[in-house]
Amino acid sequence: MRNWFSRWFGNRPQLAHEQQRRLADWQALPRASLNLPLSGVRCVVVDVETSGLNLWEDRLISIGAVAVVNGKIDLGDSFYVVLQQATVSDKENILLHGIGGSAQTEGVPAPDALLAFLDYLRKDPLIAFHVTFDRTMIVRAMGAYLGFSFKHPWSDMAYVMPALNPALASRYHSLDDWINHFDIRNDARHNALADALVTAQLFQVGLVQADKKSIADFAGLRDLEKAQRWVNSVS
Amino acid sequence: MSAIHSSQLSFFAAHAPFDKMEPAHLLWMLERMKLGYYPLGEVIVSPEQGVAGRFLVIKQGLVQGEQSVAHASETDAWLELAEGECFPLGALLAHRPVASIYRSVVDTFCYELPLSDFHTLLGMSAPFRDFCTRRIANLLEHSKQVIQAQYTQSSSEQQSLNSPLSAVIRGAPVTCSPQTTVREVLARMCDAHIGSMIAVDSDGRPVGILTLPDVLERIALPQIDLELPVIGIMTLQLTFLPPHALAYEAALTMARQGFRHVLVVENEKLVGIVSEKDLFALQRVGLRQIGSGIRHAKKLEELQQSARDIRRMAHNMMAQGVAAEQLTQFISTFNDLLTSRVVELEYDASGIGASPLAARLCWMALGSEGRFEQTLNTDQDNAIIFTVPEGMTADGVRELMLPVARRINETLALCGFPLCRGNVMASNREWCLSLDEWRRKFSDWITNGTPLALLHASIFFDFRSVYGAHALTDELRLWLSRAASDNTRFLHQMAENAMSNRPPLGVVRDFVVGREHTLDLKLNGITPFVDAARIFSLAAGVTQTSTLQRLRASAARLKIHPSEVEAWIDAFLFIQVLRMRHHDEGQERGLSDDELDNRIDPEALHELDRRILKEAFRQARKLQARLALEYHL
Repeated sequence: MRNWFSRWFGNRPQLAHEQQRRLADWQALPRASLNLPLSGVRCVVVDVETSGLNLWEDRLISIGAVAVVNGKIDLGDSFYVVLQQATVSDKENILLHGIGGSAQTEGVPAPDALLAFLDYLRKDPLIAFHVTFDRTMIVRAMGAYLGFSFKHPWSDMAYVMPALNPALASRYHSLDDWINHFDIRNDARHNALADALVTAQLFQVGLVQADKKSIADFAGLRDLEKAQRWVNSVS
Repeated sequence: MSAIHSSQLSFFAAHAPFDKMEPAHLLWMLERMKLGYYPLGEVIVSPEQGVAGRFLVIKQGLVQGEQSVAHASETDAWLELAEGECFPLGALLAHRPVASIYRSVVDTFCYELPLSDFHTLLGMSAPFRDFCTRRIANLLEHSKQVIQAQYTQSSSEQQSLNSPLSAVIRGAPVTCSPQTTVREVLARMCDAHIGSMIAVDSDGRPVGILTLPDVLERIALPQIDLELPVIGIMTLQLTFLPPHALAYEAALTMARQGFRHVLVVENEKLVGIVSEKDLFALQRVGLRQIGSGIRHAKKLEELQQSARDIRRMAHNMMAQGVAAEQLTQFISTFNDLLTSRVVELEYDASGIGASPLAARLCWMALGSEGRFEQTLNTDQDNAIIFTVPEGMTADGVRELMLPVARRINETLALCGFPLCRGNVMASNREWCLSLDEWRRKFSDWITNGTPLALLHASIFFDFRSVYGAHALTDELRLWLSRAASDNTRFLHQMAENAMSNRPPLGVVRDFVVGREHTLDLKLNGITPFVDAARIFSLAAGVTQTSTLQRLRASAARLKIHPSEVEAWIDAFLFIQVLRMRHHDEGQERGLSDDELDNRIDPEALHELDRRILKEAFRQARKLQARLALEYHL
């Protein structure tokens, strides 16, 4: 816990001039409008792999992302990076995501990896399944390695899908539940890129369903999500 | 910036043609692809969208192509596509809108490549280009390799009968001049250890041949003067083939004519000689031996042995992966020989062979036998055509012939050609007719067009001569081609009838199967091609009876593109091979002729064969669409 506090509130990380410029460039990008029709907006579906499930202790190991534009996943517009680790995660963890010890230590230095992700992301809204986890991991890493507070619009498929499919809401909780229901195959579960891809496919299904309910923009998705959070809290 | 996960690549690596593409090209393609989602019932591509703009590969799900009413004339009639399949190739290649509406039958994800990238990829990747432009031919090539691997007998050192003769002939032939003395020729044959000598004129043109068996018959026994010129005792009727002819043609020629040698001649000059021995090296079963066995058979047991030899030969050829067209040609040739011999023996036994009637009779093959499409369990379909001799009546001839025909039918049945269940046989008085009676009968069918007439037409209009006076069938054929092509109403009725038999491609599953989960390859697979080919040929006045020749010959007159016809033919032949393999496997399992059927379980097929069979059925639909177009159905 000490370690984390010192990173969070302690000295700002020292960025090279070039890295500072890249960060500033990204920060200077205009914010994405959340009221544009979803069909014309680029959304980035993201998934992360970490050294464990502890939001405060565990480290970010890899980020995978694919872009969805106009309802289609653009395979050429995808992103994957393994962050360089000082210490290798334990064996069970490696077995889960399959990123071995040497791959972890040979990864991209964390600041560069995160800057590359920002370059890729631009200011476009983010989509994930169980946002809290992905967001916390990314925000923490951004704070620790780039020294800034990453605030960004997110939409959580873990709430949007139950809201769109109330009949299934009580039974389905995990990403696996949902992708099984829609018969989406994942040949490489627990790889950040492959998981981002199936999440994106789930998002595609959600987009078609949302369209039928006349939800046309990102703000509409977030309203849906808020409503579902409320439903969850009272039921 | 892009990242492609290896699981995407492994998806593509599992499907043709991507499995044959270079990884770099595959990656290039993937980086340019989008993944689209199409919930159940959604239109993916339609004619209204204009020129087809993207190449699609189904990642998961099922897509159906439905013909849109507005474009009913197009030939992209129908299809169903599953995981790993690509569409709409034809429209992309031709820069035109699709002819069908492509709709997802279940929730479906498709990889999509923009048109411009599709064309770049065509230029970049040869396997990809090959696949897109010759889809069915390619799948068939794949399948042939699989078939060959399945048969244990096939071995790599065994040369194929598909080799050209130029590759089979060894060294320059030993020749002499026609004026060389018999003595010298014998001495040279003895020195060189050769079984034959060919006399050539001063320009190198072969003029005669002497073979070892001739020595006994023509020299030793008649004790001729050895100082005479050899040409006097040579065989002057020579059989030539060009060097590019295939070994199997030589084998067939030898089998048909009973020769042991075929001369290979280019620009009239002798370039080599192919002996039966040379072909033995290529083929385990001695084809000429089977042929000569049949020609010299006298007893039922000998005929039955020959019938077994034919089947063994067919099995071996399948093992070698001999192409379907040639395989059926072999089977037909030998079955014809066998039938001829049975007829000949029976004519002789009954005294008809020596009577003047013999020259006025012709034994005809009908149905699949008439089309040269016999497989191993084909029922007999035969008839007799004759002209009435002076002082006799047609009924008189019939009374004479029916008992003979009965015995022929029975002998054929004992040789493995089951009696026809519909009694379409020469021993049926209805099908033992004079030329005039046949004309009247055919004429009746054409004018009335009743369901029964249409059924009969589909069997009888495929007649050809097997034994006897060929001129009679030629005359009947000529008459029919005029009578039928004039009667468009009849052709229209035949087309309508043919359209009622649709290839069993399903809506949700790949194939529509009956309660036993099987498909009838003959009824559902072969018949649509056969029916359409018959109608096209009757309309175009084509006199051939084989489905392949009918399609090829009609195509030009009906202005159908040759590549389209070749795709139909490939599809037809594939189904034929599948049928023959099915029969062959049945026989290997010890099933009797009566137990062999045409029903297969598509689930039990090799994955590749299933795909080709689907493609073949799709071609059948295209052919039917063409038929519908011609006859406004």
